[in-house]
Amino acid sequence: MFQNRAEALALVLPAALFAAAVFLVPVVILLSDGFRDPTGGFSLAAYIEFFSSPLNQAVFLRTLKLGAMVTVVSAVIGYAAAFAIVGLTPTMKGRMTGLVVLPLMISPVARTYAWIVILGRTGIVNQAFQALGISDAPLRILFSETAIFIGLLQLFLPLMVISLISALENMPKDAVPAARVLGANWFQVFWKVILPLTREGLVIGGTLVFTGSLTAYITPAILGGSKVLMLETLMYQQVSVANNFVAASVIAFILIVMSFAANILLKRVATARNKVRSAK
Amino acid sequence: MKTVLMASAAILLAGTGLARAEDKTLTISVYALAQDEYKQIVYDPFEKICGCKLVVETGNSVERLAKMEANKANPVVDMAVVSMADGLNAARKGLIDKIDTSKIKSFNSLYDIAKDPNGDGMSVGYTFYATSIAYRSDKMKIDSWADLLKPEYASHIAWPNVTTNQGPPALYMLGQALGKDTPDLAAPIEAVGEKKDEIVTFYEKSSQLVQLMQQEEIWAAPIGRFSWAPFTKLSMPIAWATPKEGQTGGMNVMIVTKGSKNQDLALQFMDFWLSTDIQTKLAEKLVDSPANKDVKLSDAVANNLTYGEDTAKSLKLIPSAVALDNRAGWVKSWNAKVGQ
Repeated sequence: MFQNRAEALALVLPAALFAAAVFLVPVVILLSDGFRDPTGGFSLAAYIEFFSSPLNQAVFLRTLKLGAMVTVVSAVIGYAAAFAIVGLTPTMKGRMTGLVVLPLMISPVARTYAWIVILGRTGIVNQAFQALGISDAPLRILFSETAIFIGLLQLFLPLMVISLISALENMPKDAVPAARVLGANWFQVFWKVILPLTREGLVIGGTLVFTGSLTAYITPAILGGSKVLMLETLMYQQVSVANNFVAASVIAFILIVMSFAANILLKRVATARNKVRSAK
Repeated sequence: MKTVLMASAAILLAGTGLARAEDKTLTISVYALAQDEYKQIVYDPFEKICGCKLVVETGNSVERLAKMEANKANPVVDMAVVSMADGLNAARKGLIDKIDTSKIKSFNSLYDIAKDPNGDGMSVGYTFYATSIAYRSDKMKIDSWADLLKPEYASHIAWPNVTTNQGPPALYMLGQALGKDTPDLAAPIEAVGEKKDEIVTFYEKSSQLVQLMQQEEIWAAPIGRFSWAPFTKLSMPIAWATPKEGQTGGMNVMIVTKGSKNQDLALQFMDFWLSTDIQTKLAEKLVDSPANKDVKLSDAVANNLTYGEDTAKSLKLIPSAVALDNRAGWVKSWNAKVGQ
């Protein structure tokens, strides 16, 4: 398309320079704070200090746990929803996909505030539990890990569903009937046919959901508060209250590493399954 | 040709005059809150009186103090408003000068509590607020700060996080109620820690409390008086407690930068801000509770502010030195006992 590489590079250069100037350089400067001692030399002291605090350890593990749980549960629900949507008529498919996308157009602040009403002592969930005899007194759901989990799941599930719809649509139409004819039960169909053929969608959706859950601030701040701290809410505290930019940059670096690690891990899982299939 | 020359000279002279007026510049450093109201009530009228230019820098007090420290040798800011504790912090770091109160005519109109809050002559209070407990009067009775932790109430309260402005004062009063008011706040932090699973939330933004109160998630919370107004609009009986240990609160102060070349102008500006007229206007717009005792307010306005001689006298504020010396320790023990 281009006469030579120079032309292509010239076209990319303005965007690359812009990204480097307004994103890459500031991020590197910010993150470098965490690796410096007071004299300016290289040091890991800030990281050692961070991980030696029991509070920070608990917050780190909670963030990891909730991120993983949200990703796994959204994959399970997402597959079921995406599979159902892909099987619909084109008109209905469009409508249902629109419904899935709709929450993404509403501000996360409004969506999360709605959960305060829904999950409250007098909210619909507690009313239903009491009406069904599941509990005698209102349950305390707000300001707990459960509340954050529900909020994050609702926030990011659409991203998983959309990724999986796209992956399922690209899957050969005869694959599932063929597997059924050959005697596979539904679990085998999913595990040996659908999952390998839609792994790209799962990797993309999983990365979006996991990194989103790690970095979402509003939902954990509103539904968990300082009683259930996550890394992102802890980072906010470090910046705005303690004015400790070093600790905040340590947390930022940890979050970035976790996001990359999740992406690499999910890709590995997908590739490993692919290799096994190829070998067979 | 002569006319052109004359016209040019006139323009030149006018230009020089303009430049002189612009030369007189006062740089102030303030909280980023209610800047539209401040501009209208304080900044613009003052610029007209002094014939000077006012440069306003905003930010939270930690950032602004850090900036003052960085520019210590060559001060940029002439005058700043900060919290009482940060005022002492600035004094300890040698960033500010004693205030020549003889040049502030409004000084004698201030409540005693505002005249020299840190006792070092280096700051003057311009606004203060009470912190007490907003509570459902049909569900509970609050006579003491310790009542909040009663078994029948603890699972219905929100407590301010230690990192908020209301956190340490509330703990300070709880310590008084428990009879163990050491500066490290160990006993009240321990007491809150014991109830941490029952307490609904440790809030960081008081704006969230109105909704929690409305949907009966909480019955009570220690709050600053400046957040009180929305509670009065709820369709439920909510009262402002007057615990036997008293109310606590906080104060913001004015400070003058050491080595500022515009100290007289800064003092003139402070006098203007503290004057009865300006303090009344700021109070009527619900921007700041007045530190000037000559300010007269309607009941409707006063109800939303911290107002009156009796209230001012009843406030038990944490001494700035105690706050400064213990702040890091409070957060540490809070994280150990409550945060996990």
